[in-house]
Amino acid sequence: MAFFLERQSATSTPYVLIDEKKSYMKLEGRCFYENVAEFFKEVNDWLDAYLVTDFGTFTFDCAINYFNSSTTKLLLNMLFKMDKYSSAENQVIVNWITTEDNEIMIECGEDFAEDLNNLEFNMVIT
Amino acid sequence: MTFNIRQYKKMLEENHVEVIYSGPIWASSIDGIAELLLKRLEYEEIPLSASQSVFSVFVEQMSNIMMYSAEKEKLISSSGALMEASKGIYILGIQGSTYFIQTGNVVTESSAEILKERIERLNSMDKKELRQYYKQQMLADNDNPESKGAGIGLIEIARRASVPISYEFDSLGNGLLYFTMNVIIKQGGKV
Repeated sequence: MAFFLERQSATSTPYVLIDEKKSYMKLEGRCFYENVAEFFKEVNDWLDAYLVTDFGTFTFDCAINYFNSSTTKLLLNMLFKMDKYSSAENQVIVNWITTEDNEIMIECGEDFAEDLNNLEFNMVIT
Repeated sequence: MTFNIRQYKKMLEENHVEVIYSGPIWASSIDGIAELLLKRLEYEEIPLSASQSVFSVFVEQMSNIMMYSAEKEKLISSSGALMEASKGIYILGIQGSTYFIQTGNVVTESSAEILKERIERLNSMDKKELRQYYKQQMLADNDNPESKGAGIGLIEIARRASVPISYEFDSLGNGLLYFTMNVIIKQGGKV
């Protein structure tokens, strides 16, 4: 059965959506939860299993508007993992969604993109 | 003993202190203070980058207090769960378009040495160098699962600060010092 996960956002954790049937994942809101590794464990476990399959095309919409330094590290690891398994047959598309005035997120997206070679990274400024 | 609240209030006002928190800090307590701070910042007519900087410095300073505070307090919940909190003080001051964020906590001599060295190093860098250093440390830290952040939070604070971070260490004896850090954020970013 295809995996499905939806969690509403809280003060320090983002909205999370994983819809495996649609090959889609979304994060939205703020993230500065102290035990961020624990929060994302389910997401990471699913990614580990999913990325090694023949998924065709997988889209990750990242619309986080603020995250702290420990989340930055976790997210970077997540993106490295997606990059590792992205190929011509199994393409990962990352949409880095932010607003024009969010300089911190724009800079962060630019810095992340420099080290991602295989996946498609789109800076989406709304 | 009665605490003189009026005198305290007067002192806060004279020093432009808008928000103050003093007491135990633990992971889930940060949400409560963060909520208050976010609500307060909604009423500041400032660019998103400035309010985000103020918020980001707050979050990283709270993590630093939890990591470095040598003054711990054991709290037990009604259900019997044990929790160790770090004691510290957080202040947000607003004076015109300048925001100052100050924190205070007790540290050991060895933590003080590390903090001093790191802050001095960050203070010598410009914004571009800090951005590169942040990324470099982030990638280096990735290869070391044992590392607990390796001061990345401090780099983030330095990136958001408009002027070099100022700090003080006052000796408390017994190998302990009181550490205060002052971060200033001006609208329009680094000057």
